[in-house]
Amino acid sequence: MMLRGATAIFWRDLIVLRRSLLSELLAVVASPLTLYLAFGFGLKGYISSVDGVPYAIFIAPGLISMTAVLAAFEEGAWSMWFHRRVQKTIEEYRVTPITVYDIVVGKLFSGFFQGGIKGVAVAIIIFILTPFRFPLAHLFIYLLFIGLGAMIFSCLGTICGTLMDKPEALGRIQTVVIMPLIFMSGIFFPLSSYPPAVLPYIRLLPTTALFEGARLALLSGRGGILPLAILTVTAPIMFALAVVVFNKKIEE
Amino acid sequence: MPSALSLQGLTKRYGTLTAVDRFSLEVERGTVFGLLGPNGAGKTTLIKMLTTTMRPTEGDAYIEGRSVVSAGRRVRELIGVVPQENNLDRYLTARENLVLHARMHGIPSRDYVRSIDELLELTGLAGRRNDFPDTFSGGMQRRLVVARALVHKPRLLFLDEPTTGLDPQSRRALWEHIRTLRSEMTIFLTTHYMDEADSLCDRIVIMDHGKALVDGSATELKSQFAPPHIYELEVKRDAERYEELFRALPVVTSLERDKEAFRIVLKDEESLKLLLDSIRSGDIRKICTVEPSLEQVFLDLTGKAVRE
Repeated sequence: MMLRGATAIFWRDLIVLRRSLLSELLAVVASPLTLYLAFGFGLKGYISSVDGVPYAIFIAPGLISMTAVLAAFEEGAWSMWFHRRVQKTIEEYRVTPITVYDIVVGKLFSGFFQGGIKGVAVAIIIFILTPFRFPLAHLFIYLLFIGLGAMIFSCLGTICGTLMDKPEALGRIQTVVIMPLIFMSGIFFPLSSYPPAVLPYIRLLPTTALFEGARLALLSGRGGILPLAILTVTAPIMFALAVVVFNKKIEE
Repeated sequence: MPSALSLQGLTKRYGTLTAVDRFSLEVERGTVFGLLGPNGAGKTTLIKMLTTTMRPTEGDAYIEGRSVVSAGRRVRELIGVVPQENNLDRYLTARENLVLHARMHGIPSRDYVRSIDELLELTGLAGRRNDFPDTFSGGMQRRLVVARALVHKPRLLFLDEPTTGLDPQSRRALWEHIRTLRSEMTIFLTTHYMDEADSLCDRIVIMDHGKALVDGSATELKSQFAPPHIYELEVKRDAERYEELFRALPVVTSLERDKEAFRIVLKDEESLKLLLDSIRSGDIRKICTVEPSLEQVFLDLTGKAVRE
């Protein structure tokens, strides 16, 4: 059966997630909520609106998206590292009749699912605490952006979890690469703040395409062709890269 | 009888180092086959190639007629693997570990539910089926890894040092379990315990530097390679004088001394009289014959130097 191994790995991750769902959600909601309170409420008196959108509303979609893709990255990275270096369960998977694609796709499903659940949890809290609302019709295009973003970040996490042998290296990647990429993409400020000479390069970043596109999709129902095109090209490239890197590493 | 396993010039090189060197072998179905060798002999590399987790540089191996190079997925359906380390999933219960393995083999739940319960029963873990492996003793974890490798009823079971780190009781229990499996499948075992190989294996290959050195049953190897006339002798006094005296005897081919105790290898059976004649009556505390051991064969073939 196609993807038999992927569904088995996904089943395993669902069981583990189910056991720790409450504590996971509490932990994952804390960070974006703090950011929302600090920026959305704390700066409300200083920044009234961005491009006509109230600042508290402007940052809400980005925080929901950030939670989802960071959860996808962390699931991909830490889970792969743990299975490879600590439990060595990857070795057990490899002596069963499943393929490398199964393992990467299984982890992709898990990252996507965890990203979805955690993103929804943050969205619910923001809806409860704030006047942030959007038309349901906008949700489909928004989910398309989040789906592609979760795939990219999950694959990126899988690559990091495959290549890094030490946990502190994974932590460093998150601090030095992932977080700056996310913050540079205009979650908390409009892209028009960048100098005109830099802006075209910033727009080409997949993280900019993701957060800017997702915000536009949720607030206006239109994500934009360029952001969608960037994500549509980046996602399969990252998947192919994850498969190649994983395959190469386990053959060493 | 058809071969369960056939190795044809299997080779693995890492740069200039040849870990496995043109290894050829046929193992009949239903055999408990033991592969012995010191650290770095190439055993683990060989097992990795046979379980399809490493590609050979040259040659091929066939498991039940399927190539490990070109039909890896089919080979993995036919094999069960018990690795050196207990690579259990600590976030899944004992039973869930087995279910995950069954799902990876594409076994429908109607088929695996009963067989998993039977395996847990057989390995004495039925009462702990819903507990996490972290709470198990080393022996219980090992039994769970063996149970996991049997979920899909493999035709060839690889056991890579299955009893390393276990207490004597757990080792014996696992041996008993392995004996019950021999009628159902071929077993490929690596071990550092010579008594284990002696007790379990129908056929043994000792390998070193990537090559097979000898091949045969434990009895054959001992009669072929271990000196037959070995005696343990303990004297009451004058051990130093006796050491000099024994070394001067032409019938003594090897001599080791530990305080008053000697381990003496003689040329032949008749040499014993000459040895006894050289000892004053009343000086002998104990004398007995020593059965040739597989360990002696192993050390004679691979040397006594400690490997990294």
